[in-house]
Amino acid sequence: MIGRALLFAWIAGWTIAAFAWAPLVPVLGETTRVLYFHIPAAWITVLALGWSMVHSLLYLRRRRLEHDDHAAGAAEIGILFCIAATASGSLWAKAMWGSYWNWDPRETSIFFLLLIYAAYLAVRSAIDQDERRARLSAIYSAAAFVAVPFLMFVVPRIYFSLHPDPIINPRGKIDMDPRIRVVFFALLIGFTALFFWMLSLRVRVARLERRGLAAQGGAS
Amino acid sequence: MSATAAMVSPESVVLEAREVLHRYGPRVGLERVSFRAAAPGVVAIRGANGSGKSTLLRILAGLLRPTEGETALAVDGAETKRSDRSRWIGYAAPDLAFYSELTAAENLRFAAESRGMERPDEAVRQALERVHLESRGDDRVTALSSGMVQRLRLAFALLHRPPVLLMDEPGSFLDEEGRGAWVGLVQAQRRERLIVIATNEEREWTLADESVELRGRGLGRPA
Amino acid sequence: MPTNPSSSAAAVWAVLRKECLSEWRTRYGLNAALLFAITSLAAVSFSIGRLGDRSDVLAGLLWIVLLFAALASLAHAFVREVEGRTLTMLRLVAAPTAIAIGKLLFNFLFLALIEVVTVPLFLMLMGAPAPRWGSFLALLALGSVGLAIASTVVGAIISQTRGRGALFAGTSFPLLLPVVAAAVSGTRAQWNGGSVDAELRLLAAYAVALLAMSLLLYDHLWED
Repeated sequence: MIGRALLFAWIAGWTIAAFAWAPLVPVLGETTRVLYFHIPAAWITVLALGWSMVHSLLYLRRRRLEHDDHAAGAAEIGILFCIAATASGSLWAKAMWGSYWNWDPRETSIFFLLLIYAAYLAVRSAIDQDERRARLSAIYSAAAFVAVPFLMFVVPRIYFSLHPDPIINPRGKIDMDPRIRVVFFALLIGFTALFFWMLSLRVRVARLERRGLAAQGGAS
Repeated sequence: MSATAAMVSPESVVLEAREVLHRYGPRVGLERVSFRAAAPGVVAIRGANGSGKSTLLRILAGLLRPTEGETALAVDGAETKRSDRSRWIGYAAPDLAFYSELTAAENLRFAAESRGMERPDEAVRQALERVHLESRGDDRVTALSSGMVQRLRLAFALLHRPPVLLMDEPGSFLDEEGRGAWVGLVQAQRRERLIVIATNEEREWTLADESVELRGRGLGRPA
Repeated sequence: MPTNPSSSAAAVWAVLRKECLSEWRTRYGLNAALLFAITSLAAVSFSIGRLGDRSDVLAGLLWIVLLFAALASLAHAFVREVEGRTLTMLRLVAAPTAIAIGKLLFNFLFLALIEVVTVPLFLMLMGAPAPRWGSFLALLALGSVGLAIASTVVGAIISQTRGRGALFAGTSFPLLLPVVAAAVSGTRAQWNGGSVDAELRLLAAYAVALLAMSLLLYDHLWED
């Protein structure tokens, strides 16, 4: 109870600080605020996918459905953060450079992650039985794991060599004022905690559902 | 491959189920069961419809991983790996389907070649003869009656001369003549192999030396 | 299943021969796939016309047509087993890895057969410049290997779900994309006189990595 309240207070407090206290980055202007939400969302997208994939592999190894709960939960929450990151990134791009989507390397990478999340969840939704769903989606996850580094790093570079973009996107290192850095890391920690909290809820629900079904379904 | 299986003396083959239980989702399809059977001989697995006879046979064949418990097949005292299981057992069940666009002989030949048998054509011919299908070997499976397909299943199970035979409802689709032939087959093989029959038919289970009774009505009964 | 390598090779070979025999007997898979590939090609050619000087667009279109052909046809090697309920028999006579490699080789040959018809037609209809045959064929070969590897593992997964064609297309796309990206880049390069070494290495690396991972996974695929 207290943890939850603290978490919300933390995020709320630092969000206010993001608007009221931290200065603007000169080149970004008012859009500076986006970086406090967009970058953590992207970070959690990657974290969630990694968490999901690791638990998929653990499920295949140990065959305990708790691992599947984690894999599925992390994917379901991760896709929300992925959509948030993609949407916020797109709006930011529009504000900064005038167009919603450019297929620049980062946009391309986040889009491919969205595809992988969607594909994984689509596989799950096409299977009714618990064990089979856990196993087959874990196998897909493991195969996708191989594709991820290629999709994140190699494909965007290839795209760029095919379509050299006249628009220059200076998204590299932003020399951050200490106040910006503080707010940024505080919100990064806050959102990461939010993710894990949501995940723990989702895992608990899955476990309770299973126990409930087992209790009705017939004693062994 | 077939030479290896024939050299195994029947007494050294032991099939075991240890606390095996299987669930389909939340429902229990196969109630907890344990047993131990050694070659040679005939064991019948009996139980009401839905009690999990077919499920148990699939688990014994290595086709299905049980929710709980394990099965083991020991040959010459050494436990075989689950991935190797199908080398030592012959499986015939109603859910065993053949490639309908291929002939009976081609299906068996594919099986023999995949298993790495040394003289596949010879083995196929013998298997077909043993179930009296030698004249229909070159017919496509679609042209065979259900009784003949059942005999083909038995041929498939015997093809690689395994020490253990698992048969699920072996009398299904067989007419009196076919059934008589099948009984003859069992009587001929029972001195050399362990034969496990899952059945509801009294005339089939009376052939057995021992019985395993499956409890529970499995999926047929609501909570 | 016999664990000595020669028997596993026997199983792979037997599975491959059986696939070819079944395909030859029914032939609907190959006919449908060829028809689909030629139809997509016709649609592209009709709406876009000849593009002799646009090597970048040509490279993209070629691989899109091949991608579509793969998406439309490579799942059926497993779907056929599930629909015919012959998986039980297959699993009893061959180890999962042997089944998978046999199907993979079949998918590769299937794709190659489609390409033998489609690629020359493409080059002619689109007015493409003459390719540098060594590089071009190497890209086609390695690209097809990659497409086959990804399609085989995804096909094996999807055939056991309720989903079919659309699900197969959506779930295999992320795994096929690295192949298509590298192949398009390389195909364009060989028309522009550049080197295709980087792309070939990429295709090879991805194929090896995905193949290695999938070989570890096939043992888990069929457990019921």
